[in-house]
Amino acid sequence: MALDSHKLMNKMEQRSLFTAEDKTLLQSHADWGREIAPDMAEKFYDYLGRDEEMNAILTEKEGRIHRLRETFIEWFAEMFTGMDNWGGDYADRRWRIGLIHVRIGIDPQHVVPAMATVVREAEKRLIAESKPSELKESLSKICMIDLAFIEQAYVEVSSAAVLRETGWTERLFRRLISTGADSM
Amino acid sequence: MGINTEQLSNILDNFVSSTNDVQGAALVTPDGLALAASLPGGMDEERVSAMSAAMLSLGERIGGELARGGIERIYVEGDQGYGVLTSCGEDAVFLVLASRAVKQGILMLEIKGALGELKSILI
Repeated sequence: MALDSHKLMNKMEQRSLFTAEDKTLLQSHADWGREIAPDMAEKFYDYLGRDEEMNAILTEKEGRIHRLRETFIEWFAEMFTGMDNWGGDYADRRWRIGLIHVRIGIDPQHVVPAMATVVREAEKRLIAESKPSELKESLSKICMIDLAFIEQAYVEVSSAAVLRETGWTERLFRRLISTGADSM
Repeated sequence: MGINTEQLSNILDNFVSSTNDVQGAALVTPDGLALAASLPGGMDEERVSAMSAAMLSLGERIGGELARGGIERIYVEGDQGYGVLTSCGEDAVFLVLASRAVKQGILMLEIKGALGELKSILI
């Protein structure tokens, strides 16, 4: 793995202005996050199930949707707990989610609108339950960090898979992308 | 001491001009950068270099996967001619372009000779 997931996490935090206050606020609502996670999963998979392509991916193997639903619930709750205060474990887990996406064929075109659904549904719950508006902002930030992280992992994992299969060096791979892009 | 690129270019130029039906040659790094090239006009050196490195590396992988042992060369045969890729030690890939009229036995001998010269400079 060419990319250091922990370093990327730190960079994403800086870029998204994800502060210590955001972390404290999310952690103080960790129980709430855990409580609504199954409902969020319900909404999320209901949304994905209505997309023909996504539905085909989710139901391709027996038990896949159940496993993914469990992963979603954990993932959602972890955005509030931060696992190890949004450290290496948190980053590695987001990396792993990106890897799973590559393995099962979930592209960024599927992930980005799906993440928007999470943000939208979470926002509805925040309003309905009169949670502080700052929480909405903190949750949006971590959702976007996770999105960026998962998508970057997607790119890195895809590249690493090509390098592994072809024996190409990373520099050669980038050169091919660059010469190919120039001719488009 | 650094690699003498002028000498590399001279070897390639001589190889291309003195070998019958050879149309071009290039020596590139495994990262796809040209060390020296003498290619026909209109060919994009940067692109050819990247593709040459990519093809040799992929060929070696395929050879391993198909249990063909160490790969001596990758041979591309088209209706306009041949492309031959040979590893030139660990640090370079040698590409030779030849027309359909080339005598293949002679071409292989000439490539072997050129490789010897190129390797002596690269080491």
